[in-house]
Amino acid sequence: MRIDSFGAIPAVTDSLRPSGGGFAEAIRDAIDRVDNAQAGAQSAAADLLVNGRGDVHTVALAAQSAELSLELFQQVRNKFVSAYQEIMKMPM
Amino acid sequence: MSLFSAISVSASGMEAQRVRAELIAGNLANADTTRTPDGGPYRRRDAVFTTAPVEGSFADNLAAAGVRVASISVDASDPERRYLPGHPDADKDGYVAFPKIHPPEEMVDLMGASRGYEANVAAIATVKDMIGRALDLFK
Amino acid sequence: MHVDLGAYLSYLTRRQEVVASNIANADTPGYKTHDVGMPGDFSTAFAQFTALPEETPGLVSRNDGNNVSIDRESRLLAENDIRFNLATQLLRGEIRTYKMAIEEGRDS
Repeated sequence: MRIDSFGAIPAVTDSLRPSGGGFAEAIRDAIDRVDNAQAGAQSAAADLLVNGRGDVHTVALAAQSAELSLELFQQVRNKFVSAYQEIMKMPM
Repeated sequence: MSLFSAISVSASGMEAQRVRAELIAGNLANADTTRTPDGGPYRRRDAVFTTAPVEGSFADNLAAAGVRVASISVDASDPERRYLPGHPDADKDGYVAFPKIHPPEEMVDLMGASRGYEANVAAIATVKDMIGRALDLFK
Repeated sequence: MHVDLGAYLSYLTRRQEVVASNIANADTPGYKTHDVGMPGDFSTAFAQFTALPEETPGLVSRNDGNNVSIDRESRLLAENDIRFNLATQLLRGEIRTYKMAIEEGRDS
């Protein structure tokens, strides 16, 4: 039995799965998903504050998941950028 | 309903039990009142509870079942008659009409109201604690 | 079996709300105790738990038709609180673990 409430942060890991669409597209896709995760978390928070709809824990988990997705994305992006820079430094 | 409206539900429970306790206190205080402004002896009062939705609950959620005092029932049965010929409120036969109130029963009822009140207080404290822990998830 | 703690928290939340209703209506004539049924599994992510409360069987009714046992409800109140506490602690641990894993990758 696994306790895994975040499902390996799907917003990022799904988009980085090789799907034949090319690297740029994968990054764009990841950005969209992270963006959606953030927007979803914010609207859940607004719904709770304004309409009293929803639970605190659901909003909190959505916010944490969105933030983790963003952080993961940033780390992955940084890795790719520095790898790219490494490659560009190579003498031809 | 959310945990927040659970607090409203418990608050409605506190209010209802409080009204009930006040009526019992009135019964105890007037257990021997033979003359009221309306004429006749004091009549025992009791709170009639009914389930009532709590404001703030939403249609898409489960109905938040609170409680309210629907009405205050007044004992309409014949009062107790005791033979006390010298009493200022005695009728021509020497009988005085007394309230049909028995303090031991009222005390038991009062204990029930008190227990109910405290249970609602405990529910609010617990739910507040849970909301606090859910908020900790933001950290 | 994959346990989604968020769904578990939602279940405990719904359950506690119904306990609050039972306690508030402990002296309402004719009121019957309700409870929320435990779902088969907690593997759906962030499931909004929507099961309707059901009447709880096996409780004794008093003269006015009410069958709320304040003892039972007080016990559930405490149990749900403890479980909620446990689940939120586990979740915070999960979040911390993810954060550490992500940050660990930064400097390597």
